[in-house]
Order: sequence, then structure tokens, then C-alpha cells
Amino acid sequence: MTDTTASGPRKDRTTSLLLLPGIIWMALFLITPILMIVYVSFWTQTTFNISPDPTLASWKQFFSSDTYIGSLWTTMRIWLIVLATTFIVSYPTALFVGLLVKSKTLSTILLVICIIPFWTSFLIRVLAWRPMLGKEGAINIILQNLGIIQQPIEVLLFTELSVIIGMTQIYCLFMVGPIAFMLARIDRNIIEAARDLGAGFGRIFWKIIFPLSLPGVVVGAIFVSVMVLGEFATSGALSGRKVNLLGNIIVTQVGSLKWAMASVVGVILTVVMGIVIAGFLRIVDLKRDL
Amino acid sequence: METAVFRLEGVTKRYGDLVALDNVSLDVGVNEYVSFLGPSGSGKTTLLRVIAGFEKPDAGRVFFEGRDITFLPAHERGVGFVFQNFALFPHLTVIKNVGFGLTHGKSPLPAAEVDRRAREMIAMVGLSGMEGRGVDQISGGQRQRVALARTLAMQPKLVLLDEPLGALDANLRGRMRNELRAIRERLGVTFLHVTGSENEALAMGDRVVVLDRGSIIQTGTADDVYEAPASPEVAHFLNRFNLFEGKLANDQFTGPFGAVVAPAARKSDRDIYAVRYDRMRVKPVSAQPEGPALKATFVASEYLGSSIMSFFETGDGHVVEMEHHLSLGAPDIYEPKQDYLLTWNPDQAIVFGREAR
Repeated sequence: MTDTTASGPRKDRTTSLLLLPGIIWMALFLITPILMIVYVSFWTQTTFNISPDPTLASWKQFFSSDTYIGSLWTTMRIWLIVLATTFIVSYPTALFVGLLVKSKTLSTILLVICIIPFWTSFLIRVLAWRPMLGKEGAINIILQNLGIIQQPIEVLLFTELSVIIGMTQIYCLFMVGPIAFMLARIDRNIIEAARDLGAGFGRIFWKIIFPLSLPGVVVGAIFVSVMVLGEFATSGALSGRKVNLLGNIIVTQVGSLKWAMASVVGVILTVVMGIVIAGFLRIVDLKRDL
Repeated sequence: METAVFRLEGVTKRYGDLVALDNVSLDVGVNEYVSFLGPSGSGKTTLLRVIAGFEKPDAGRVFFEGRDITFLPAHERGVGFVFQNFALFPHLTVIKNVGFGLTHGKSPLPAAEVDRRAREMIAMVGLSGMEGRGVDQISGGQRQRVALARTLAMQPKLVLLDEPLGALDANLRGRMRNELRAIRERLGVTFLHVTGSENEALAMGDRVVVLDRGSIIQTGTADDVYEAPASPEVAHFLNRFNLFEGKLANDQFTGPFGAVVAPAARKSDRDIYAVRYDRMRVKPVSAQPEGPALKATFVASEYLGSSIMSFFETGDGHVVEMEHHLSLGAPDIYEPKQDYLLTWNPDQAIVFGREAR
């Protein structure tokens, strides 16, 4: 008894000491900037100047402009499409790496192979798609030489399609990882038990494997969503400025020193991400399932 | 042959150079409880997996109800399997687990029928009222019952249990033993029960099959195996015998206790003299016993409830155990580090030897 009373306050102090660096860091570099963005979004912006007089002008401008609202919808559309394509590409890969490959060593090697593209910088990975997808790029040349097409396919580059292809390639790993991890944790005996009870592969997949991998899907989807919603580089490099995401608007506005408008878009983007994450977390109880 | 529900003929299974099963043959009747006893690595789990259809044998045949099922996939065999770690579906409730095979199996039943049969099974294993619980919200013993109910719901003729009580604590293990037996008798199906525990094997099985290094080394009732182990290995697994090495020659066994007459020795590849723990007697060191005697130092004793195990150490460091049943009267008190004479009636000893007939 005396032990607990003696160690009680000391334990509390240790806990606070351990938490302190994190709290300071988050307060300085996360909470304060977010509050600042919200604050600045209500500042008065003139062409060459910005003053802290409160106004709703930037907010009104955002919601009355087709360009801005349009880019909000483009962002949502690209996000949903990329989420779907990364899932379609990643799930079978994860199924293979996490479940079908029996050797732990081999599945680790395969995951590392998935990471190899990350050894080069983000921008190079994006730009590398240009010589692949361009009018005189690798894909068109190969298809022409094989005689499958006569004219080069022009929609491959500087379209929404190229943005989706680029983003899928960059972000699918963040989906493969968590799903493969969840699949690898499934007790093989469970699958054998289901087989012994007479369930076929389809039933075993939909009733056992998929539900048990769902937390991984959700975590992967959160990773991909957060990154895609904030994207500007891929769309900038591969769309030929035809696809303007909220991220691109922020970059342009900051570039022309329009801090108030950039803040409005920043706040909207943050709110959208918050809603998306909250929505995903409703699907599974991560605290229980991980 | 009508009574044999299940038959193994020369089943052999290798993993690379390792022979997991070596030419195993066995007949099992209807409505029988057979327990497989063996140390880990003896091939008992592999044998069960071959019977279940999770592994294909390299040679030999498996027959079930007169049909050759050697290469039939697991779910077409009508053989139920209860996994050592239960292998319940962690995201499903108790009733969904039990009804899984009925809903998603090869001949799905209507929902109402699934519900009825699942509830019936849950009631049979004594879990009524827990149908809606998640399987992570119930205790180990209850999980064991769910696993059993899930298998039995498919109405298999043969149920394979892979160390089903291994994950339970001792108290629960005792209770589940009785319950498993009772459930089996009620359903009249054949149970094959794999275990590494000699107590469990002797207590559970109508018949005990002892496995060692991939071969069956003895088959018989619990009595047979206990009273007359077929080889020194069996005696060793039973964990009930003091085994002494020595030499058998001319119906005489010469061991650390001197030479003893051994007229009824059994053929074996080793010369071993086995005396059951509860056949040992302890005498003061000055006594002049009639039978063989061995001088040993008392080390410690262990109270087991119905009996007391006493441990003695002989001069060459060999530990000899002596079991005293408390129903035979209060135990003698021995002084630690004191020498005593251990003796026994040589007629009750079991002798194995190369020279035996």
C-alpha cells in the first residue's frame, strides 16, 4: 500500500515529463499553425497588402467562384477514383504477399521490393511518368511498334488519366502495407477450419479473410486519402495545369502572396480530411481490431 | 469390417528427409474414443492432419466408411476437426461461429434451420444464453466448447481433436475431459484425440494408440497399455515407471540393484527394467528386504492430493520416484539427505531385453 502512495505522484510526474516534448512540439508546429490559418483566413486582402482587419471576403469569394468550387469537386473526384484504383491494385498484391506466400522471409523481401521506387525522390517518381505516357513516350512507341495502334494515344499524358495513373503508382504502397500486415496476422488454422466446415474459396474470402483484413483496408485508405487530398505535385507535373486540386490552388495563392485565400482553402481542406478520417474510423473499431 | 468406420493402411508422410509418419496402419470402430499419445515430434498431429485431409500422405491409403478418401479434399470427407488453439472466427459471434458450416458449407441450409441447429449445439455444450457474444468475450473453456459445437454441428461421423485441452488450465482440463466423453457418448460418433499428456490419454481413450517417431508402438485399452507397456519407450511416455538400464542374460537382469530373476522378459532392442512408481517400497537402510534393493538418498516429496510422490537419488545420480497412495494410510516421513533402501516385488516389475523370447 505504502508503495503505491509513494510511487503515485512520482509516476504521474514521469508521465508528464515523457509527454512534454510531444506536447510542446505539437502545440508549436501543429495547433498554433492551424489556429493561425483559421485566423488569417478572415484577414483583409488587397492586391499588394494584407491586414488583420476581420472580414468574410475571402470566404465569400471561395464559395461564389466556379473555379474554386470546381477544384473542390475535382479534388473529391480524383480522391475517390485514386482510392478505388489503389484499392484494386493493392488488395490482390497484399493478398499475395500477406497470405498466399507461406515463407515469412519471402513476404518481407516482396514488401521491400514494393518500397524500392521510394529510393528516388518524389518529384522524380512523378516526372518519370512523362517519358512513359507522352505522345512519343514508351507506351505509345511500344503499342505502335506492335501494330496495335496507328496513331499515338494522346489522352495518356497531361490529362486527368495521367494524374490518376501517377497517384495510384505512388500511393498504392501505403495501401498494400497495412492490408498485407492484417492478412499476415490471420491464423492459418482459421482458414483451414472454414475449409473443413465445407466453405469454398469465395465464401472463405468474403466471410473470413476480407472482414479480418478490413482494419488494414481502413488504415490504408486513411493514409491514401490524407496524401491524395493534400496533393499538388502530381497534378501539377502530369496534368499540364488542366487538373487543379485544392492543393494547387494553395500553391498558386501563396505564390502570388494571397495569404487569406490560401488560408481559406487550407481550412476547407483540413475540414474535408477531418470528415473523411472520422468517416473511415466509423467503419471499424481500430482500437479493438489492431 | 462392418464395424470399422475408419482405416489407415501403411500411411507414410515425409517432409524432406524427415519421416513424420512411417507405414502407419490402424482400424477404428464406430462409436469409439481413441486417444493418440506421443511426445512432440512423434507424428501424432501429422497423422490427424492426414486423416482430416489437410495433408496428403506420400504412400498408403485412408479409408472412411468403406470409401477411399486418401485424395479427397478436407471438406468432402465428413470428418470434423477441432483445432488446438480452437481457430474460432474472431469477428463472428458464438452462434455465427457454430452455424458457419451450416450456412457457408457445401449444402447450405435455410436460415431458420441453421439457427435451430446452432442453438441446439450451443445448448448441448452448455453455452445457452451466450449465442450473441463475441468469441473474444468468453473464457478459454467456453471457446473450447464453441469450437466443439462448431464441428459437431456438421454432424460428422468422425471427430479429430488436436490437443483440445492443451490450451486450458488444469482445473478446466479435468472438467472438459468428462464433458468431452459425455458429449461423445450422447452423439455416438467416433473421436480421435491427440494428446501429449499420458494422464489425458489414459483417462479419455477407450483405446490408446502410442506413437513414437512416426510409428505406432502400441495399441490397446488404457489398462493394457498401463499394465503392460509394449516397449521401454511406451513405459517412458506413460511417466509412471522407474526405468533402470542393465543387462538381461539367462533370465536374469543385472542392474544397479544387482541381479534379479526376470523370467517373463519382453523382447526389445534395449535391456530395461521398469518398476511402477506405486510399486516401490521404502525401507530403512538397515533392513534386509527379500527382493531386490537399491540404496538411494531421499531428496524431496510432492503432495498430489490423493498421493505423495517421493524422489530419491541413487549413487549414480539417477532419480527414482515412489508414489504412495494416501488411501493406503498415512505416509512415512523421510529425512532429507538420509539413505534409504528402495525395494519392490520382482514379480511386478516389467523387464525388456534383447535376449527375451
